[in-house]
Amino acid sequence: MNPQPEWLQTRSTADDRGASYLSIQDVNKTYRTRNGDVHAVEHADFDIDEGDFVSLVGPSGCGKSTLMSMIGGLETPTGGRILVGGAPITAPRRDFGYVFQDPTLLPWKSVLDNVLFPIRTQKRVVADYLAEAERLLRLTGLWDFRDKRPAELSGGMRQRVAICRGLINDPRLLMMDEPFSALDAITRDDMNLALAKLWDEVHKTAIFITHSIREAVFLSDRVLVMTARPSRIVADIRIPFARPRIDTMQDEALFSEICAYIRDEIHQAHDKHVSR
Amino acid sequence: MKLIHRLLGIEAQDIDGLSRQILMPVGFALAVLLLWEGVTHVFSIKEVLLPAPSAIWSRLQESLPVLLQHAWPTAWESVAGFLIASVLGIGLAALLSASHTMRSMLYPNVVLFQLIPKIALAPLFIVWLGIGFESRLAFSVFISFFPIVVATLAGLDNVDKSLLRLCRALTASNWQVFASVRLPHALPYVFSGMKIATTFAIIGVIVGEFITSQAGLGYLILFASSQADTALILATITVLCVFGLVFYGLVALAERWTRTRFGA
Ligand SMILES: Nc1ncnc2c1ncn2[C@@H]1O[C@H](COP(=O)(O)OP(=O)(O)OP(=O)(O)O)[C@@H](O)[C@H]1O
Ligand SMILES: [Mg+2]
Repeated sequence: MNPQPEWLQTRSTADDRGASYLSIQDVNKTYRTRNGDVHAVEHADFDIDEGDFVSLVGPSGCGKSTLMSMIGGLETPTGGRILVGGAPITAPRRDFGYVFQDPTLLPWKSVLDNVLFPIRTQKRVVADYLAEAERLLRLTGLWDFRDKRPAELSGGMRQRVAICRGLINDPRLLMMDEPFSALDAITRDDMNLALAKLWDEVHKTAIFITHSIREAVFLSDRVLVMTARPSRIVADIRIPFARPRIDTMQDEALFSEICAYIRDEIHQAHDKHVSR
Repeated sequence: MKLIHRLLGIEAQDIDGLSRQILMPVGFALAVLLLWEGVTHVFSIKEVLLPAPSAIWSRLQESLPVLLQHAWPTAWESVAGFLIASVLGIGLAALLSASHTMRSMLYPNVVLFQLIPKIALAPLFIVWLGIGFESRLAFSVFISFFPIVVATLAGLDNVDKSLLRLCRALTASNWQVFASVRLPHALPYVFSGMKIATTFAIIGVIVGEFITSQAGLGYLILFASSQADTALILATITVLCVFGLVFYGLVALAERWTRTRFGA
């Protein structure tokens, strides 16, 4: 048996649970449906430190979106608790930013107005955020398109607008649920580079959901691997690459080694589950 | 043909677009009028039965002062009816979309009312409100109100679920969701309801004038028919058509303006 690689973290059951910024403690979610109960999330139990970019990877239907909705306060857990800075989450928080699978832009508003939408709905002073909007739009290469309507943009551009909107109120935590899954492979690679570059600038805590192992490893400080339902977290990996992340990182042996490890974990768990 | 286009400096596809949008329908209508004109002359159809378009046109010119005098009450009553119906209709739709209780109480009844042939209720309005303009105005409001409610409510309801989730994530209030998401999204629906309502508002007033009135285009039609003045009937209808077109056009213009102003 191989010695454990150093990037593989053993999960701590230390006493200082809850000292981290975000603490997910034995969280369950069961949807009651007409066809019986669906255990969407079972025993999710991990902490996230401030400043970490954390990816959740796992097969479709394993409860990633549900878990994120609970962290975001959009769903309530049926068991366990989620603490932010020590306080339980009961409702969506204004110091969180959200990016969903589809860009959900307001089609009748310009790019700039879409980015400022959270500011307006949260009744903050728009003038205070114009500079930040400009900075984000410039970082994502959208400043020249600020007066365009979403329909005039490409899919990748729309998703970048959604990310700018998620970041406009300087959230402490940005949640992204498969933001690039609707994009073609080439655009997706570009978006990964753009997001990595953006993260070198904004340094925020992030939870990023994806099906793509390479995407997760490329972008993250830490990757949590989930298995199919009943879902568990089977691996917790600290990505040992320095920032800024560069494209050529994906050619390194270590990068492929980590990706292969994650893939094996998902498949093993899947096979075990199937052969049971 | 190509040569002519080139001489005039017009691109072929411009001609194509223009001809499809304007030249073809107008040309067809003119052809029908010509045929009509020809048929009335060739078969020497009596003017009481079917006057030729040229006869209607000259009748229109000679009676223009009378026609305009009668157009006024019809016009203001239907415009006022339409405006009141728009305010009430959008208001009721907003209420129904905001309150579950109101919706379950009222919406099935609105749908049921939709099914009634509303024209049949016109005499009731006269019983209740008398033979003045009030009864015609009220009936016009009543009849043009439903398309606006139904269309507006569809627009307010049809909002993307993911947009609503975004609003929830941003802790937007119900009012903000309504004002910044539901209403702008509903605008095209509201205007399609309002465009239908323009016609309904005119129908409401005309029907009222048929039943009881001393003025208005509906009254004039009835009067002309009692005189067997078919040319005047058709001239009045022509004026009515022009008024309906202008009315519809104004609403379409308002829609263009609102949509460039507020998007959607
Ligand atoms: N509102 C709901 N009611 C009932 N069941 C639900 C609901 N939402 C999700 N589920 C179920 O919970 C499970 C997990 O769903 P979830 O959307 O969290 O998965 P996911 O990991 O995000 O999948 P994907 O990668 O395909 O987006 C699925 O089996 C789904 O059918
Ligand atoms: Mg999902």
